[in-house]
Amino acid sequence: MPGIRSLEFKRRETNRVLAGVCGGLADWLGLPDAYVRAAFLTLLTVWGLGGFLYLALWLVAFDKVEDRQPRPIEPSQTLGLAAAFSGFLMMLGAIGWWPNPVLVLTIAALAFGTAALVGTSRPAPLAGLFDPGVEKPSRIRLLVGVVLLMGGLSMLNLRLGDIFEFSTVFIAIAVTGVGIAVAFGPWVRRLLGDLNAERNERIRQEERAEVAAHLHDSVLQTLALIQRSDDPGRMSMLARHQESELRDWLYGTVPLDGIDLVSTALKGAAAKIEETHQVPVDVVTVGDYPVDDSSRALVGAATEAMVNAAKHSGADRMSLYFEADEDELSVFVTDQGSGFDVDSVRDDRRGIADSIQGRVEKAGGTVEIDSEPGEGTEVVLRMPVVVV
Amino acid sequence: MSVKVYLVDDHRLFLSGVRAELAEEFRIVGSAYDVDSAITEIRGLQPDVVLVDVHMPDGGGIAVIEGVLETTPDVKFLALSVSDQAEDVIAMIRAGARGYVTKTIEPPDLANAVRRVDAGDAVFSPRLAGFVLDAFAGAIPSDDDPELDQLTSREKDVLRLIARGYAYKQVARKLEISIKTVETHVSSVLRKLQLSNRHELARWASKRRIV
Repeated sequence: MPGIRSLEFKRRETNRVLAGVCGGLADWLGLPDAYVRAAFLTLLTVWGLGGFLYLALWLVAFDKVEDRQPRPIEPSQTLGLAAAFSGFLMMLGAIGWWPNPVLVLTIAALAFGTAALVGTSRPAPLAGLFDPGVEKPSRIRLLVGVVLLMGGLSMLNLRLGDIFEFSTVFIAIAVTGVGIAVAFGPWVRRLLGDLNAERNERIRQEERAEVAAHLHDSVLQTLALIQRSDDPGRMSMLARHQESELRDWLYGTVPLDGIDLVSTALKGAAAKIEETHQVPVDVVTVGDYPVDDSSRALVGAATEAMVNAAKHSGADRMSLYFEADEDELSVFVTDQGSGFDVDSVRDDRRGIADSIQGRVEKAGGTVEIDSEPGEGTEVVLRMPVVVV
Repeated sequence: MSVKVYLVDDHRLFLSGVRAELAEEFRIVGSAYDVDSAITEIRGLQPDVVLVDVHMPDGGGIAVIEGVLETTPDVKFLALSVSDQAEDVIAMIRAGARGYVTKTIEPPDLANAVRRVDAGDAVFSPRLAGFVLDAFAGAIPSDDDPELDQLTSREKDVLRLIARGYAYKQVARKLEISIKTVETHVSSVLRKLQLSNRHELARWASKRRIV
């Protein structure tokens, strides 16, 4: 919520440099990030105090939150905080805690100078640099920043050569490089973050489009068909078919690794029968087995048996039960329809007997047909298999 | 005195449909759309049979069953769902439901199921029978109570026939036993399902979830 001060001090999840401590502190105090970071950098030169403080705050604020809108801060409060920080630094100096006054002052000047240049603007992506609408550093702040930076650099030029063994020029270049990195780092980071967010958003939209496309092709089509249909049997068939298809899609019963399973093949065959012959098939499967030559024959024969039941039994629904045992696959196609006298009708239905019996027996299985007039029909297909 | 039935389902349209179907034969004492009000009302009304949806916000049917059975163990539950996710269904039975039917069930069959649950029997739809066979398939009995962890071959026979779409009456005729014996077998399977500690049940459920 913009403009509302966050009550708790928490680390920042986004828009951070290290662990988000400075950012979180900036949010909590309502100060621009750059100044808080400058303060920590300055304290780092005092026996690494900034580092210890950073670690301590890290431990305190274990929770992380999204980048929060800092509350607007009164100018007097900024001044007060600045005065307090300077006082603290001077006190450290007064009790002789500065390892090297020049270093401390130099880093302070560079850090705060850069901070002033970067300013309070929450850095926009690089494109925003050329966008006239984006907040730019005010002239005064620009001036203060440049003066501080120049001062720091010239101090380095004058004194650092004595302190370290490196050449002053080298250090000056390095420090300036760091300054530039600090100044533009947030922009670059923000830009990268934006790119990331954009990509995520794109992926999300693609997923949504995929879902929408699927629902359109399946559910919406079916709903349209149902509205146009005036045959209750057809309506419930459409609904049933759609239900099983949607469930497969939602719960992913389609195997992931591309291996076709007998249960999936049988469900697919049953769905087709429901569609073409308008007879619901209750499918129950126990265990599973991959589709190979012999189990394919089993699925084919089961499909024939279902077609038979749908065409000839007169039953208003049928059951398909598949079980994969350790050494055998079995399929039962059961209906409660008219049934027939197995012995007498067999000759008339030679074609059917061939297509079911022939297929299964060629693959090494057996077929049993159990039926009596008026008692329904059950076709039992068994296929021995080797479980690997 | 007709059987007192209570309905719990967050789909109001479905609820009113079931209410109309069952109202002729049973006394519908109330209904609820959510878990919390269902628990409070069922405790107060003490219906004989509760038809409860598996999937609902705030814990679903399991929360209702567990919440009610804590204080009123005499209420019987029949789970009703479109979901058909094996692990959800088994979880409902393990929570205390006495049966499971899909919402596509024909009205006369639903009435039949309610009567059976009221009589203290278990109601196994073909699909539930398949799930149970699957769950107990290839079971290695644990040391705690091997009896509970396996189905007898007779129980498996009964379940297979139910899975093949046989009604209890037809199962009895096929196996040449009485309907009462079929009911005993089914109730014993239900008890095993509810009491078995077998690790396989949990592992099976998690395997199903991945596949």
